[in-house]
Amino acid sequence: MTARAASLLRFAPVALFLVLWQGVSTSGLVDRSFLPSVSSVVTAFVDLASGGEIAGNLVISAFRSFAGLALATVVGVALGIAMAMFRRVDGFFGPLVATTYSLPKSALVPLFLLWFGIGSATDITTVFLACLLPILVHAYHGVREVPRVLIWSAETMGATRTSVFFRVLLPGAQYSIYTGIRIALGFSFVLTVSAEMIAATDGIGKLLFMYGENGAYAYMFAALAALIAVAYLADRGLVALIRRLLRWHEQAAHEGRA
Amino acid sequence: MQGLSGTAKIELRDLTKSYPSRHGEVLALDHVDLSVAPGEFVSIVGPSGCGKSTLLYVLGGFLPASGAALIDGDRVTAPGADRGIVFQEYALFPWLTVRDNINYGLDIKGMKRAERDALAQRYIDMIGLTGFENRYPRELSGGMKQRVALARTLAYDPEILLLDEPFGALDAQTREIMQDELLRIWQGMRKTVLMVTHDVTEAVYLSQRVCVMSGRPGRIVREFTVDIDRSVGREAVMLSERFGAIRNQVWLAVRQQVVAAAPAGGAPK
Repeated sequence: MTARAASLLRFAPVALFLVLWQGVSTSGLVDRSFLPSVSSVVTAFVDLASGGEIAGNLVISAFRSFAGLALATVVGVALGIAMAMFRRVDGFFGPLVATTYSLPKSALVPLFLLWFGIGSATDITTVFLACLLPILVHAYHGVREVPRVLIWSAETMGATRTSVFFRVLLPGAQYSIYTGIRIALGFSFVLTVSAEMIAATDGIGKLLFMYGENGAYAYMFAALAALIAVAYLADRGLVALIRRLLRWHEQAAHEGRA
Repeated sequence: MQGLSGTAKIELRDLTKSYPSRHGEVLALDHVDLSVAPGEFVSIVGPSGCGKSTLLYVLGGFLPASGAALIDGDRVTAPGADRGIVFQEYALFPWLTVRDNINYGLDIKGMKRAERDALAQRYIDMIGLTGFENRYPRELSGGMKQRVALARTLAYDPEILLLDEPFGALDAQTREIMQDELLRIWQGMRKTVLMVTHDVTEAVYLSQRVCVMSGRPGRIVREFTVDIDRSVGREAVMLSERFGAIRNQVWLAVRQQVVAAAPAGGAPK
């Protein structure tokens, strides 16, 4: 009971924020048409939800996020591990990663738009690229930072190279790999929305853009709230999964707050 | 003593190892000669940073070196299950439970599950960790981890034990318990043991022969034979005049190396 109360109490700052928002909006401190009240956002949300507009677009946006994230995970983990293990792979991809790491991937949307046209292909490519590097870099460091005495231990017990890879390097790098995926998960939603605002006919990003353009701010905030909820739940789900998979891990076991 | 004659289990001849560093090549081991007979327990003591661990890593087959490191007269070229190493930092797999850590080497050996579990359980009972089979290393104290590391190595039954400061991180009481445990195991199994330590008392208490290494670059400068009767128990051994005399001699020899290695007086100019 107390644990439940404590976990509810964690949302107190969020509640306080909403109360302040409502207060500022109803007091007339800010023009109502620019900052809709919380209650009007809720009304708009109910309206959108009952019309099926939110659900449909959320599914589309979530699909794009996860598709991009999944592709990035497959390629990023494989390439990151290959770079950590083979000097030649590292020599080729290392400089590419270093130079493109800080490039804002959303800047490439207009370019992808030319290549792939309006629609999911452009959005997913953008998400893929944005998620790729954090996953790759974390996989790389995860493998690199497996203590050499663990590898030596396995070798001295007669483990082959393949066995060392699957039974020492991979489990040893797991925590870092999952951390990369979690960071990329956040990026995936951000980039989906950015791409959809420019290059899509549907999705939450498009919805946000449309309502914003038309000054329907209550509806814009309602769509945004729906997206935040999905992103939050996805992150919680991933953290729970990581904690379950890495019960043995010192840090992972205490994770879950941030 | 020729390795080919088959008398020595471990033989180091003219072993020299240097590392590249920012300040050029650093000599870690300088023409080390050492021979350990089958079933013998030998310790190497010396100032910290003298290359003691490097010597074990070369024997383990992890680092190349010039000169020769021989096991049963054969050159060491790679790690192998004939040499069991217990590392200073335990090196337990954090993602495996106590049981699975001990099982790891047995599994690689190709032992069947039931047989493996039974053997692992025997070692778990022996090291007093019954009831902790399913714990992960992070849930264990330093002493427990140390015992698991030792059990893991003993379980797959290597002919040679290479111990790198195996009790360095333990508190004084646990250390004594573990030393007696090791002594009992060695007396029972008569494996060939080469232990590196900076604890003179530990070295003299456990080994038949103690080699003193110089500060970097490491060379073996003195050798002491410890001919004491260990069957009389810890108290009697530690309080005996013979033990005290040898311990003092070894301590003095190590002390000379430490002083020689340190900058004069250690005080700034």
